[in-house]
Amino acid sequence: MRNAFVNTIIDACLKEEDIFIISGDAGLGVFDDFQKQHPDRFLNLGVAEQNTISVAAGMALAGFRVYVYNIVPFVLYRCYEQVRNDICYQNLPVTLIGIGAGLTYAPQGMTHYSVEDLGIAQTLPNLRVFSPADPTEAEAAARITLAESQPTYVRLAKRGEPRIHAGATVDASRPIIMAEGCDVTIVFHGTVANEAMSAHELLREQGISARVVSLPQVEPCPYDLISEAAEGTGEVITVEEHFVNSGLGARLAFWHASHRPSWRLSCLGIAPEYIHAIKKQDGMRNHYGISASHIASHVRSLMNQTTGVR
Amino acid sequence: MNDRFVGQAPSSKAAMDIVELARRIRHSIIDLAHISQGPHVGSALSCTDILATLYFRMLRLDDWEHRDIAILSKGHAAMALYATLAERGIIDRALLKGYCVNDGTLPAHLDRFSAKGIEVSAGSLGHGFNLGIGMAYAYKKRGEDRRVYAVIGDGENQEGSIWEGALFAPKMGVDNFSVIVDANNLQGYGRPSELCELYPLREKWLAFGWHAVEVDGHDHTAIEQALREATGGKPRAVIAHTTKGKGVPFMEDELVWHYYLVTDDIRAKAMEALG
Repeated sequence: MRNAFVNTIIDACLKEEDIFIISGDAGLGVFDDFQKQHPDRFLNLGVAEQNTISVAAGMALAGFRVYVYNIVPFVLYRCYEQVRNDICYQNLPVTLIGIGAGLTYAPQGMTHYSVEDLGIAQTLPNLRVFSPADPTEAEAAARITLAESQPTYVRLAKRGEPRIHAGATVDASRPIIMAEGCDVTIVFHGTVANEAMSAHELLREQGISARVVSLPQVEPCPYDLISEAAEGTGEVITVEEHFVNSGLGARLAFWHASHRPSWRLSCLGIAPEYIHAIKKQDGMRNHYGISASHIASHVRSLMNQTTGVR
Repeated sequence: MNDRFVGQAPSSKAAMDIVELARRIRHSIIDLAHISQGPHVGSALSCTDILATLYFRMLRLDDWEHRDIAILSKGHAAMALYATLAERGIIDRALLKGYCVNDGTLPAHLDRFSAKGIEVSAGSLGHGFNLGIGMAYAYKKRGEDRRVYAVIGDGENQEGSIWEGALFAPKMGVDNFSVIVDANNLQGYGRPSELCELYPLREKWLAFGWHAVEVDGHDHTAIEQALREATGGKPRAVIAHTTKGKGVPFMEDELVWHYYLVTDDIRAKAMEALG
C-alpha cells in the first residue's frame, strides 16, 4: 500500500506543479524514478526531523503542497511540536506519510512500532487521519489529499498487502462494508484487515453472522456513518493494531457515552504497555488478542451473553 | 488609556529618522506591556532596532503579494513586532488596544491569523527560523526574488532545531535567507554562559557554512550593511549584539525585566527615560 499511495502522488506531480516531496533519509528505492524525473521537486532532509517538518510547513506557507515521507516515529513523535505548531495550528497543506503502522515492523523493537500514533493524532485539531487497509484504500486516501489541501496524516503498513476491495476504487472518507452480516458489526482500520475478514469466515462456520466494516478515515471520525453501518446489529466490536486506550475504539467509546446509540460497544486492541516480547507481526497479534481467532472468540462470548449458549 | 493608540503613523516614513521611529516603537512597547500587565518587555526592547531596520530599511513591501518576509522566531517579543507593524502602517494602531486583554485582538505570542503582517505563528523557540528556511527555499524553487529574515534570540540557539536548520540551509542554497540573532546575553533565568558555552556564536555559524558577521544590534546602519553585503551564495547569520531592555536605563541588562510587569509608576518612569 506504500507504493500505491506514493505512486498516486508521484503521478499527480506530472500535472500539478505545486507538489513537493520531502523524505527523511528513508524509503530506499521508493523515490528513485521520481528524483530523476523531477529533481527539483524532491529533497532528502536527512536525520533531522524537527527541521524537516518546519521546512515542509514553511514551503506550504509559500504555496507548495508538501508530502513528508518517513517511518511513523519520525513524522509524528520526534517532531510532535513542529506538527502541532507549524502544520496544524497554521492549518497548512502538509501530508505526513508514516510508514510502519501498528506492529508492521515487528520484531524491530518498540522504538519502531506505532501503536499510539492515533492517540497522538487525535490531539491535533485540523489534522485529517487515514489508516488504509490495502492499496485501493491507500490510493483513494492519496487522491483525497490531492483534492483537499489540509494537514493530513496517513499511517501505512509497508508494501505487499493484498487488495481487499473488489472494485477499482472506494470512497476513503466513509466506512466501507466489506462483508454483510446481521448479528454483530466488526469495525477495523488499516493493518488488521486480514484478521477481521478471517474472523468473519470463522464465525460464519460457527453460525454467527458478522458484518465487517473498514474505516480508512479515522479523523475526523465519522461517528454517525459508523452507527449507520452498524444498524440492525446490537454489538459493535472495534479491532485495531493500536493501543486499545487511545485509538478508534476509545474515540468511539467517548462518542458512545454521550450519544447512547442502540448498540453496545467493545474494543479489541493492544494493551498499553512497552512491548518487550520478540515476535513477528502474526505472533504479536496472537499475543495481544487481535488475531482472527481472538476476534471470533470475543464475538462468541458476546453472543453467549446476549442470547444464552448457542 | 484609550487614546493611547490613536493617531496616524507618520506619512513620510522614508524621510523620518529611524532613531525617532525606533523611539516611537519603544513607547508603544511600554504601553503594550502596561495595558496587558504581561511579561517580556525587556525582550521586546532588545530587538526593537533590528525590527525597525528590517521594516524601515530592508523589506520590500510595496507589492504585498510578493513581499519580503520577516519572521519573529523569538515570538515572546511579539510586542516589538506589533508596535513596528503599527508604526509601518501595516496594521491599524487601534489593534494595539486589544493586546492581551479580554476579547482582545493580539495575543502574547504570535498567531498568524490574528492580524496582517504576522507571517508565522511563533512562540515556542526554534520554529520560526526553520519555517523561514522552508519559505526561502520555496521562493528560490519558483524563481521568485523574495528575501526572508528570521529574528531569533541568543537563548534560542540552545534549541536543537536551530542547528538542524543551520546544518541543512547552506546545501539548500538559500542565499535569500538571513537569520539575525538578537544577542542580548540574557535569557529567562540568567546569562547563557551560566547554563552552557553558547559563545562564541559567529564561529559556530561559520563552521556550519554560513556567511556570519557580528554587529552592534542597536546601530541601524551597521545592521543594514550586514544585511546587504554579499554572502557568496551562502545563507547569512548576523550576530547582533544588543542590550536587553534597551532605551530604558533601569531595565537595561537587568534579568528581571524578562518577566517583571510594567505598573503605572514604571510606565511613567520608562516614558520619561525614552523621552
